[in-house]
Amino acid sequence: MANINYKTYAMNAITPMKWWKTWIVRVFLFILGAIKPLQKDLVQLSFIHFARWVIITRSKFPHAAQQQPKEELKYDYLLFFSNFNGTWNQYIDAFSAVLSRGLNSIWRWSEKFPGSVPVTPFKQYIARCQFDTDYYYTAYPYAATNDVKAAHRVQSALEAFEKESAGKSPEEFARSYLTFLVAVQRDLGETGKAPIGT
Amino acid sequence: MANQSGNVYGLTVLSPILQDPNAETSHNCAIRMNLAGLPRDESSPFARVSSTHMARLVVMDDVVYVGMPSCEEHLKSQYLVFETNFDGDLDTYLARMAGEIPTEVDGIWQHCWGYPGVQDVGAFISYMKMCQITTTFYFADVNNKTVQQTLRALQTQAAVAEFIENNQGRTPVELQKSFADFLQMLRNAPPPIPGRPGTGGPPRIETRMKWATKN
Repeated sequence: MANINYKTYAMNAITPMKWWKTWIVRVFLFILGAIKPLQKDLVQLSFIHFARWVIITRSKFPHAAQQQPKEELKYDYLLFFSNFNGTWNQYIDAFSAVLSRGLNSIWRWSEKFPGSVPVTPFKQYIARCQFDTDYYYTAYPYAATNDVKAAHRVQSALEAFEKESAGKSPEEFARSYLTFLVAVQRDLGETGKAPIGT
Repeated sequence: MANQSGNVYGLTVLSPILQDPNAETSHNCAIRMNLAGLPRDESSPFARVSSTHMARLVVMDDVVYVGMPSCEEHLKSQYLVFETNFDGDLDTYLARMAGEIPTEVDGIWQHCWGYPGVQDVGAFISYMKMCQITTTFYFADVNNKTVQQTLRALQTQAAVAEFIENNQGRTPVELQKSFADFLQMLRNAPPPIPGRPGTGGPPRIETRMKWATKN
């Protein structure tokens, strides 16, 4: 399935909004982008590489040629794209459990959004609004978000250790090496294929 | 700007797909067939545009009807959605697409209204910008590292784990010498390849064998 490339899942969803509600979502998303502490839960979940919400107003669907028929829509649309690790069910469950307040603030303005709790109608809604990916590429297919963060920590620790240990006697070097080991030991998990899930 | 988070740019493009009732294969179907044949690993065209972290191409057939009492409505065109996350600025990225993967870009976007081709890079960039939708909110968990830095870090992580495993119980003199060789080997390692399953470098078992021979 093209939605998945090894450890990463590409999700697409589109939901209709009444035009006068669009501005509310726009303001909320602006605040979410401007005030970084509000993104704390997203960061702590640590399984989303990249995600975005895109509002497309009913008159702004691209019109690229004279012959192309113009769209005549009543609704504005909210597009959601996410690049996450794990399975669809795990993702929606985690969204519902951890980010329900934030998600409700964004999606409650979409038509017939049932709320993110309880999770069953939320999943039904997302499944209805989701559309499949035809082609999906990732530069680091075996690495989850946590692997990427851990790898950068190891890289920084190694560079620091290299500098710090230069010119030391073998005994001093061995002591520093142990300190380095303790610092990086929790970041040395091996990357690989994703476990099979549902 | 919401299209950017740190050094990473999030581009969203919706290109309207041609409609031709007389075509033997509909344009949306032709795009899907083309995309189904594109490699998704290190042979992917996006691996050649090496500043790409992640990219997707999707044919959006229609908008969604969520049920009564909302109104049912439909798009008059299908749209090719291009969502990509890359390092640097938009113009450079689009120019790289036109310069480094022209055949693939033409093969896909030739089925879209108003597509000018990649021969005139300026026209191609203008077309993509015309079809661009500004991102309203963009989240990038790691937004201060390039693709190459991330691949290099993953390679380092695997190599460090292996070094530690292979150098247990060494005397301080041996350990120091071994570490100096390790750093040298890491510096001389070829740059990791984007899109390759693994750490972007050789498979771990090969690295392990190399270490075993060396030590």
